[in-house]
Amino acid sequence: MRLLLLLLMALGLTPMAHAAGGNIAIPQKAWPFQGIRAAWDKDELYRGYTVATQVCLACHSFKYVSHRDLMRVGFTEAEVKKLADALQKGVDDKLLSGMDEATAKDTFGKLPPDLSVMNIARAGLADYTYALLHGYSDNSATIAKYLPGGLPEGAYFNKYYPGHAIAMANPLSGPDLVTYHDGTAATVDQMAHDVTVFMEWTAQPERIERQRLGVYVLIYLLIFTGLLYLSKRAIWRNVKGH
Amino acid sequence: MSNTLGPTPVEQDVRNTYRWLDDRLPILSLLKDSLVTYPTPRNLNYAWNFGSLAGIALMIQIITGLFLAMHYKADIYLAFDSVQHIIRNVEWGWLVRNLHMVGASFFFIVVYIHMGRGLYYGSYKSPREVLWGLGVVIFLLMMATAFMGYVLPWGQMSYWGATVITNLLSVIPFVGQDVVIWIWGGYSVGDPTLTRFYAIHFVLPFVIMGVVMLHLWALHVHKSNNPVGIDLKQAADYIPFHPYYTVKDMFGLGLYLIPFAFMVFYYPNALGHTDNYIPANPLVTPAHIVPEWYFLPYYAILRAVPIKELGVLAMFGSILILFVLPWLDRSPIRSARFRPLYRQLYWLFLANFMVLAWVGGKPAEGMYILIAQVATFCYFAFFLSLPLIAKLEKPKPLPETI
Repeated sequence: MRLLLLLLMALGLTPMAHAAGGNIAIPQKAWPFQGIRAAWDKDELYRGYTVATQVCLACHSFKYVSHRDLMRVGFTEAEVKKLADALQKGVDDKLLSGMDEATAKDTFGKLPPDLSVMNIARAGLADYTYALLHGYSDNSATIAKYLPGGLPEGAYFNKYYPGHAIAMANPLSGPDLVTYHDGTAATVDQMAHDVTVFMEWTAQPERIERQRLGVYVLIYLLIFTGLLYLSKRAIWRNVKGH
Repeated sequence: MSNTLGPTPVEQDVRNTYRWLDDRLPILSLLKDSLVTYPTPRNLNYAWNFGSLAGIALMIQIITGLFLAMHYKADIYLAFDSVQHIIRNVEWGWLVRNLHMVGASFFFIVVYIHMGRGLYYGSYKSPREVLWGLGVVIFLLMMATAFMGYVLPWGQMSYWGATVITNLLSVIPFVGQDVVIWIWGGYSVGDPTLTRFYAIHFVLPFVIMGVVMLHLWALHVHKSNNPVGIDLKQAADYIPFHPYYTVKDMFGLGLYLIPFAFMVFYYPNALGHTDNYIPANPLVTPAHIVPEWYFLPYYAILRAVPIKELGVLAMFGSILILFVLPWLDRSPIRSARFRPLYRQLYWLFLANFMVLAWVGGKPAEGMYILIAQVATFCYFAFFLSLPLIAKLEKPKPLPETI
């Protein structure tokens, strides 16, 4: 019992290790990719893909992802071919930004970060991505509250960005930036949600498979361990003091 | 039959395969003596499961690591991408990588408990000082291996962790700077550093395996200590390793694999740092550079001391002091069960170790520095007070037998 406690304490250490940062608490949301019954929803990913390619891709890349990868979540070859053609890309080409690196460096001073693994590269994970897309404000009172020293030149206010001054302008500045394939209304919240789900897929494409397999592995291990416990008890039955 | 040097007729006959081979290379009887008939105290509790569990954890690391090595590229321009390649394109690559990554953390949990058990039941005391010392060597080798392994994905924490830790060697008098440059293979952590860390990360686990063999050899001379901590004199106090401890260790393995699998399948990244999914960038320093959780207590000790040189000494000293522990603790009684004072101090020491781990993950500022300093003092005070405690303590009477 004492050992179990020790183990738990050892495990419990880790979140503390990463609590450092001291920024605004990021609201947590229930995501469709969480939990053992989670699944990738093709339409949701398609909508997220639409936002990603029509908004994000203007400056950012998803260099670990190609159109063919979408076939792993239910898109047909004909569908991905059509999508790739529309972007003048090959099916196996990576989703690189339309803006080349030299232009991007000239324009922004540095290369906008690749978004493939963004959802696992920031404290707060997917919730952070979603919160960041909601964190912009022009309200001078809000800005003054978080940045008493004023907003630095060329930066934008974002409540959830560490330090609150972000170089990226609000990418989802208003509704209907995109037209969805399924007729869903493209509100800012809808676009933020969909693109976050898409980015979760680009960051951890194995996630759903992993979570599903885990159930079977754990069930197997529980039975295996239970049988071993019974074996142990049977074998030790005659040992003095047990 | 009179020739005692030559093989007897039974062993000359190759049809008696076991005896024929064993007469020429007694490997089978070695295995039998150490895993089957090996006499083990019958009163070992579950804390004794963690030795064999550590061996299994080491094997998991070696096997998964071998498969990762087949796909990983130790090149600063390819390393980060090759990890993503493993996750995305290599068949079961994500699983092998998660097992290796979570496996490292769990290996440390197991070894910490294994060491904590030795500390509580006085397993380091005569005649097991060398056994304990070999364990400390294994622990140091593990730390070196884990540190270099964390550099390989070439994320921000890989790069900056490597920079901070290698820079510590600059405190060596006169040649410190030269040593650091020699280790880097350049004027900063870079491609030569990554390549050599990879080579060393690959070979050290086999060195660990070698020291584990010595550790087991030393163990088998005087056999396991036990929760009562007394020397066992009667044959009835021992039971054969197989089937008793094989089945108990297997059950323990099952218990271990459940939380392990849970982390591998549901929270593979929870024990790491999000910054390590940002490719290494020498121009951008992370807000807080933190090592892997299992190094945090030592990191806290390092930062608690205001003078860098002394901090480095304190950090290495905090582990090296374990080598002399058998001579610091003068009490002839092994098990803390019969040492009321030591027993209390032991739990305080453990709590203090947790405090060090916690504060090691905090920024080195304000209250945290003070807490780290007090905890560092307590860490060393525990070891240094042991001779005194042996004198002051009134031990409980030891039983004659288990």
